[in-house]
Amino acid sequence: MSAGLDNLKHIVVLMMENRSFDHMLGALRQKYPKINGLTGNESNPDTKGAIVKVQQKAQFQSQLDPDPDHHFPGVDLQIFGAPPGPGRVANMQGFVKDYFSQTKDVTRSHNIMYYFDSEKDLPVLSTLATEFAVFNGWFSSIPGPTICNRAFAHYGTSFGQVGMDIFYILDTAVLSIYERMIQAGHTAKIYYYDQPSSTMEIVNLLKNQPQIFGTLDQFISDCAGNTLPEYSFIEPCYNDHPGPDGGQILASDQHPDHNVREGERFIANVYNAIRTNPTLWQNTVLLVVYDEHGGIYDHVVPPACTPDGKTASADATGTGEPFAFDRLGIRVPAVLISPWIPRGTVVPGTEDPANAQIFEHASIPATVTNFFLNGDAKRTVREQKANTFLGLLTDQMRRDDDCVVFNNLQ
Amino acid sequence: MPPKVIAVPKTDPGAYNPNRPAGKLLQAQALHMREALIRHVHELTTLLNIDMQALKTEADVSAYVHRATTLLHTRAGKAARK
Repeated sequence: MSAGLDNLKHIVVLMMENRSFDHMLGALRQKYPKINGLTGNESNPDTKGAIVKVQQKAQFQSQLDPDPDHHFPGVDLQIFGAPPGPGRVANMQGFVKDYFSQTKDVTRSHNIMYYFDSEKDLPVLSTLATEFAVFNGWFSSIPGPTICNRAFAHYGTSFGQVGMDIFYILDTAVLSIYERMIQAGHTAKIYYYDQPSSTMEIVNLLKNQPQIFGTLDQFISDCAGNTLPEYSFIEPCYNDHPGPDGGQILASDQHPDHNVREGERFIANVYNAIRTNPTLWQNTVLLVVYDEHGGIYDHVVPPACTPDGKTASADATGTGEPFAFDRLGIRVPAVLISPWIPRGTVVPGTEDPANAQIFEHASIPATVTNFFLNGDAKRTVREQKANTFLGLLTDQMRRDDDCVVFNNLQ
Repeated sequence: MPPKVIAVPKTDPGAYNPNRPAGKLLQAQALHMREALIRHVHELTTLLNIDMQALKTEADVSAYVHRATTLLHTRAGKAARK
């Protein structure tokens, strides 16, 4: 066990919304060749047959309206470039075609190929990715939307669901990671932004386990007061709404068409809350990850995965074919942060088959269960097969002046 | 030596738009909230429909009190956090 693991007392996960790896971090490849981003030559055909290359023209807001499709049939088309049929292969060629189905405008459908100038536009996410560890192969758990993907982060399964329907827990033997922790005498909490934003984990946990929830203000206070639970899951603000004193609270989830910069500020706030407490900084690891790609282009074909023993019917998938949970969703940004992680760590993905370490959201409860519960709690099939991420902590802690802080008051 | 400080740009003025049409995720969130409330009402209705005369034993009473306390505790907890 590394010294970093010996010192570890807290795992914090911040899950953002709906941006692909290439869209956010793809540009880093130009300066950091180990990061499996974009060469600039990746392309998709549009509905007129023209070849549309990726372009570094992403904007913070107003460019992805209407919201790109990220439900199961749409993502299926994005991955395979064609509807279900014999002989088709995953080629990531259907993004522009799929976005045209919403924009009804060929030119605007090209926006789905746009990506950020990561270092200039996204100083928070790109700094964390290059200063700590970035995963080349962290995929959403399902080629589908938010709710089922977030379920994998909470439970290690979506209980056979591939959509946004309320998922009822049919397998009561599978507990959320929070319940597992609490039942074993440990501490865990979901911090949502505030009550007008609330949580996306509603029917099962908010309804039945309200005591495990807190707000972002409580998270900040818990960080400052050294009362942070052993495991924390943070949800960003999901909507624009008036503040308690008449101010403006902006959505910080980065879900299109919410402002990406506000999400940057949110990530910086969460990081700073940990970073500015010297004790907490040394014994905490922070994972920043996105729930799914939001319909936005990524060039990496999602790999197969171990089925979790469930099947979504052809009716449920909407593609005319059932889904056996045997393929991951599209790649998302994921960054692991700790002073025990060497600068510039790049975790290889599918681009390096011999050394690839593939992660998905089931890796989250799998990691927490392994570390805090010694793997004793009942875990889903996907968790049992998932890679865990604490092996990135080393014996060497970086000096305080070697770890950045963010000035969020500009 | 102090650590490197990274400046985080302000969010663009005019980004705030509470009148933006709610997307599928937020619509789903509201639906899920409603579903949770319905279950809450069902639970409350079930408890209110229990005939007090039917609570004969200590076990009967303790089971009822347990469920009522859980429900009331949840409501009190929410009020206290306001």
